[in-house]
Amino acid sequence: MNKLNLRLMRLIKSSKGQFLAIMAVIIVGLLVYTALNMAVVNLKNTVDYYYDLTNFADLYVQVVKIPAKSIKDLESKQSIVKAQGRIVYDVPLKVEDEDEKVNVRVISVPDSSENINSLYIVDGEAISNKAKDALVIEQFAKARNIKVGETIIPQIGGKQYELTVRGIVASPEFVYLMEDEQSLLPQPDKFGVIYVSDEFARQSFGLNDGHNEVLINLKSEKDIDKAKERLEEELDKFGVKRIITKEEQLSNRMISEEINQLKNSSNTVPLIFLGVAAIILAVMISRMVRNDRTSIGVLKALGYNNIQILFHYIKYSLFIGIMGSIIGTFTGMILSGYMTKMYIRFFNIPMLQVNFYYKYMFLAVLISSIFCILAGLWGGRGVLKILPAESMRPETPKVGKRILLERINIIWQRITFSWKMVIRNIFRSKKRFIFIILGIALTFSMTFLTMHQWDAFATIFNTHYGEFQRMDYNINFSKPLNDNVVKDIQHLVEAEEIEAKVEYPFEIIYGWKSEVVNIIGVKSKTKFYGFINQEGTEIELPKEGIVFSENLAKFLGVKKGDRVKIKSFIPEREDVYMEVKDIIKQSLGMNAYMDIDYMTDKLLDNELATGVYLNSKDDVKEKLGNVKNISSVQSLDDLKSIFQQFLQLSIFSIGILVIFSGVLGFAIVYNATTMSINERRLEFSSLRVMGFSKKEIYRIITKENTIMTVLGILIGMPIGRIMIRSVEEVFSNELYTLHTPISLKSYIWASALTIIFVALAQLSTLRKINKLDFMEALKSRIS
Amino acid sequence: MKVRDLSKHYQMGEVIVKALKDATFEINEGEFVVILGPSGSGKSTLLNILGGMDKPTKGQIYMREEEITKYDDKQLTKYRRDKIGFVFQFYNLMANLTAIENVELATEICKNPLNIDEVLENVGLGNRKNHFPSQMSGGEQQRVAIARAVAKNPLLLLCDEPTGALDYKTGISILSLLSKINKDYKKTVMVITHNAPIAKMADRVLKMRSGEIIDDYMNEKPIDPEGIEW
Ligand SMILES: Nc1ncnc2c1ncn2[C@@H]1O[C@H](COP(=O)(O)OP(=O)(O)OP(=O)(O)O)[C@@H](O)[C@H]1O
Ligand SMILES: [Mg+2]
Repeated sequence: MNKLNLRLMRLIKSSKGQFLAIMAVIIVGLLVYTALNMAVVNLKNTVDYYYDLTNFADLYVQVVKIPAKSIKDLESKQSIVKAQGRIVYDVPLKVEDEDEKVNVRVISVPDSSENINSLYIVDGEAISNKAKDALVIEQFAKARNIKVGETIIPQIGGKQYELTVRGIVASPEFVYLMEDEQSLLPQPDKFGVIYVSDEFARQSFGLNDGHNEVLINLKSEKDIDKAKERLEEELDKFGVKRIITKEEQLSNRMISEEINQLKNSSNTVPLIFLGVAAIILAVMISRMVRNDRTSIGVLKALGYNNIQILFHYIKYSLFIGIMGSIIGTFTGMILSGYMTKMYIRFFNIPMLQVNFYYKYMFLAVLISSIFCILAGLWGGRGVLKILPAESMRPETPKVGKRILLERINIIWQRITFSWKMVIRNIFRSKKRFIFIILGIALTFSMTFLTMHQWDAFATIFNTHYGEFQRMDYNINFSKPLNDNVVKDIQHLVEAEEIEAKVEYPFEIIYGWKSEVVNIIGVKSKTKFYGFINQEGTEIELPKEGIVFSENLAKFLGVKKGDRVKIKSFIPEREDVYMEVKDIIKQSLGMNAYMDIDYMTDKLLDNELATGVYLNSKDDVKEKLGNVKNISSVQSLDDLKSIFQQFLQLSIFSIGILVIFSGVLGFAIVYNATTMSINERRLEFSSLRVMGFSKKEIYRIITKENTIMTVLGILIGMPIGRIMIRSVEEVFSNELYTLHTPISLKSYIWASALTIIFVALAQLSTLRKINKLDFMEALKSRIS
Repeated sequence: MKVRDLSKHYQMGEVIVKALKDATFEINEGEFVVILGPSGSGKSTLLNILGGMDKPTKGQIYMREEEITKYDDKQLTKYRRDKIGFVFQFYNLMANLTAIENVELATEICKNPLNIDEVLENVGLGNRKNHFPSQMSGGEQQRVAIARAVAKNPLLLLCDEPTGALDYKTGISILSLLSKINKDYKKTVMVITHNAPIAKMADRVLKMRSGEIIDDYMNEKPIDPEGIEW
């Protein structure tokens, strides 16, 4: 082997710890890069493949009723390849526990096999007895432990039908099973989908030869918007309620959202890690070059040229980069398979398209190499400046300048000798200290971000359920009822507070943007909502006009005082224009609110309520459980427990992020401390000769590290806040508005973890001081 | 080798330090030259320029009719690589390479190196070639350094106070070694020292003071290094 390379290998061997620490950072970065990027592609491919295989619908047209012939007629027209009618209704399901409200969406499937949104049979078989058979969606079947051959009893129009479960199925439409936009998380045990024959649905819902929804496949996805507009007009006579595009479709939207977030992280996280690794490497190599000054001079004297010597150091970082990226990308590749599987299980896709994309492995090695070469160049640029003749002369010792603090006698005189040493040290080697402090600051801010994220979910939830929504129970009727029902309920349960509400979806249009949201009508002095506007004052609902939630306003680009168009899904109703009177804070979901009387007057035909809000200590669930016309009773406690489960899931990913931050912090502090000990061997040896014990030297280092940790944490705080705010910007979506105050707990936790990481790194350098042979250090001045 | 009006000035803020002033002399191939002078007289400066490690402010150096002083950095590197062997006062071996590897480090990049084992044998380290510098004494390390310079098979062997860090006896043995190399391999050797007695072993002596060559003479009868005392 080339002797210069041999020197390199021995150099690496003797600085194993630092080498591994930096490599760990690179491994993590490229592991994340490969795993996430491949998972994104695999997930996307799987979803596309699934959609393709099952003929995922491009458009969902919800109508009051449309005859089969009119659906057939659509097919010949322009870009429409296939149109398929079906019947869709949400109905209650009879379950053992009478208090439990379980709803199912009953969807009819045609007899033909070439269907839009065709079902994928996971277990059992297709419908054979059209009058008695049903298929159940997999998530629901799992959550409620429903098996093939069992009986399920949906209540349709007040009548109970006993259906036999013929098969368990998966559908591309319910990859993510949520009842509607308002439910924030899937609740597969409370809401499910069952499929029945077309015949059965038409008879039991009394639609004769009609359907209430049309699925449409287009020639090309590009035609979606045009087709939507045209269908809106053409099918107007059948009472179009709402047309949903593939893009807007709830389950599809959730998946796209998830894939996008994954994609965002797949590039930013690796960049942070590679950047940190490159900085550590650059600093390390520049230190190395400085320490090797004489050796470099000798090499030059021997006739080695600048490029050969520079390359010698670049190889060091390149070696780390390539090793790290290969290990990282291989583990990442393996992990990506598991990740894709996990996601696909989570999303309930009955098939898997996992491929290894060698492109990402290649890119991982390439990107890492580029970073490391740049770090090597930057760190090693000092090689060029070393003149062989001069490097042989011992370096002129730095002039011992007095530091500012020393001039302030009153303070300086009260400081003990070892503190004086510590403080002098910090001021004398500013660059090194700044590097370490920034490293600690970064570790802190990463941990801080993670801790805050964890806290934020809980806070969002607590503010939303408790401060914003203040009802114990949210009761929905299966059909709109008149005011008397409030009294009826009061007879059944002891209510502390009760109010009727109306809640309907409308399309709100402002300029060229539009969004479908539920408008909720309540009393203007409602006790069940805490409306707080953007200035932070609590408001009552205005008697006229509409109030938007913050993210709805943001999404539509609406300001207070703007006029918006409200489009009803009730057929034949005119559009209404209305002024946005105020904008209120709402951290979960997107809604608009109106005074209930104004809403019924302006937007609805009748004065019927769709549900009530209720505060009660009574056993509401049991008492209202099987009351006719009540479709769901949702308690705050239910929601809380769902959320708890969700949080438990995220503990895993939070944990991984904390470990990642730990790797970063450890690598930075460990490397910096090791560098500092190596460079100060002479200094420490002199101290030892002067009679300092190992312990005392260690105490000096500990003091230095303490100061740096404190400073690092202090600097990390604003950096962390910036990181938190920008993450909030990126990850806020229609469902969450992440803008929560940062709690003291996050500060404390992040600080504690940072201190642990620093302490761990310092402990592993303890050995180096123990091994410090001061005689050798003093002697080695010569060679 | 011819040197004409060689000068080196260092700008130190306001003052100009004239480390070397119009040095002019000639050296014949195969000579053993000793440069003598007190500390700060410009010996190292001269040697560094001769070795292509530094550039003069003015003046010329001709080596076998080639003008070294015209060389650019690239040519200087090549010159150091192929023509020059350098021995430093503080040995300056690579700490994490063994004796033989240190020698190979030098020979790997030059055109026609000598047989390394032979050279190491000649400097008396045949049995220690696999030791690291930290396992060797100063004298032994300096032998490795000499082997490293010699094995390159240079035209000119330049030694900047090779005995400076060594005791008397070891110093003598190093000088004997250099003298032996001068004779066996027919290399031109230049040795810097501020020990006047060492001059007795030289073919030619250059005396320096304050950057000037104040004397340049040939020894009629150079004595054997063993006979030197100081
Ligand atoms: N890089 C430099 N910058 C400024 N002055 C220098 C530089 N190198 C050498 N000098 C000055 O040039 C003069 C000659 O230095 P040189 O190293 O050649 O002396 P020397 O004869 O080798 O002394 P010694 O026996 O102590 O090694 C000295 O006065 C020195 O201070
Ligand atoms: Mg000198």
